Amino acid sequence: MTTIIVVIVLALLALALFYVGFRSRRKQAANRPVRPLDLTAFYTLLDRDDEAFLREKLSRRQFFQLKRLRIKVTWKYVRRIADNSATVLRLAALTRLDPDPNVAQAAAEVADLATHIRVQCLVAFAKLAAEFAFPSMQLTPAVLAPKYESLRQNLSRLGSLHPQDVAPLASAI
Amino acid sequence: MPTRMLRSFVALPWLAALVLQAILVGVLLAKRMWRKFPLFATYAGLNLALGIGSYVIFRTGSPFAYFVAYWVKEAIGLSLGLAVVYEVFSHLFRPYPGLRKLAALVFQGAVVLLVILGCIVVYAQPLGEHTRIVAAFYIVEEAARILEVGLLLSLFLFASAFGLHWRQYVFGIAVGLGIFVTVELVAVTMRVQFGITANPVFNIVRTISFNSSLIIWISYLLAPELATSPSELPKRAQLEQWNRAVMELIYQ
Repeated sequence: MTTIIVVIVLALLALALFYVGFRSRRKQAANRPVRPLDLTAFYTLLDRDDEAFLREKLSRRQFFQLKRLRIKVTWKYVRRIADNSATVLRLAALTRLDPDPNVAQAAAEVADLATHIRVQCLVAFAKLAAEFAFPSMQLTPAVLAPKYESLRQNLSRLGSLHPQDVAPLASAI
Repeated sequence: MPTRMLRSFVALPWLAALVLQAILVGVLLAKRMWRKFPLFATYAGLNLALGIGSYVIFRTGSPFAYFVAYWVKEAIGLSLGLAVVYEVFSHLFRPYPGLRKLAALVFQGAVVLLVILGCIVVYAQPLGEHTRIVAAFYIVEEAARILEVGLLLSLFLFASAFGLHWRQYVFGIAVGLGIFVTVELVAVTMRVQFGITANPVFNIVRTISFNSSLIIWISYLLAPELATSPSELPKRAQLEQWNRAVMELIYQ
């Protein structure tokens, strides 16, 4: 019986992931526009002093309510960072094939950074989920904002080397 | 009479599978796909050849000859199925050399875990089969299918986590194979659990799932592959327009 359960769980998980893959392909085919990110607002959302101030001034219940709201907004920002990083990763993969070695090198660096940010986003989602469940925890995804800023800078550098394809994206994310 | 009816009930989807496999091989040849996907082309070609051979033996040969042909076909199909998973992996990660290293590490870990899971399944499996050798074959097939499904699952999970772009042909091959091996895994598990009584259902279900996969492969390979382009960027004028609209809303 245990074997049947293991196999059925594996099969259902596999079918669900095939469906997710199918949907994400359709989304990519629909060519959804990249959405710009307000980094200053994101930094404010992650500010721990701000949180400490709220914790001090509000009742426990009010603070938890507010923190959960804040986590929901942060989640959307992280989602946007993840989406934009995926777009950058795809573009960098195409630009890597450029005959100019400087462009290829810069594209490889951007791709590595975008990959790192995607990993950080996964970690951030896990942290935010834990914080949402237990609002007294403090697990801010602190690395994400500076990394994203660095991605923007690297992308701008790549955009200056390869203006026709990359520059518009560099100014849009 | 019921036996004859059952035989034709099994034979019809089987014949349909042979026709679909012939179409698939035709598409692969017409589009010169063996250059891009040599392992998948070999998988499709050998499946067709072995399928025709098995059908002829089923109709004219002895049950033992069919038994041998069936298990030879299964062994080759399983090995080539794993090779096709590797081919999908190579195509998916080709544009991302940085990710490829990480993915290779994740996949090595996944293989170790899946082999352990397969061994647990082999060890814990109660047998519904009377003949020991048949039972052993089915259990080995079940463990191998777990490895195949698990690897495809890891591939989809990884691609989804990193928002990777699935090229059309690669996606079609992966999904077609995925659906087939997933149904096959469930069917083999049921066959191992319930023994020969599950045979008629087992045969029909796996043939139907294989036919569905063949249809998926053919339709994905026939559809023209769209050129990949980076996502659409918001135009500056459009951004300014949004900004103005928001400002108007604020100062209303």
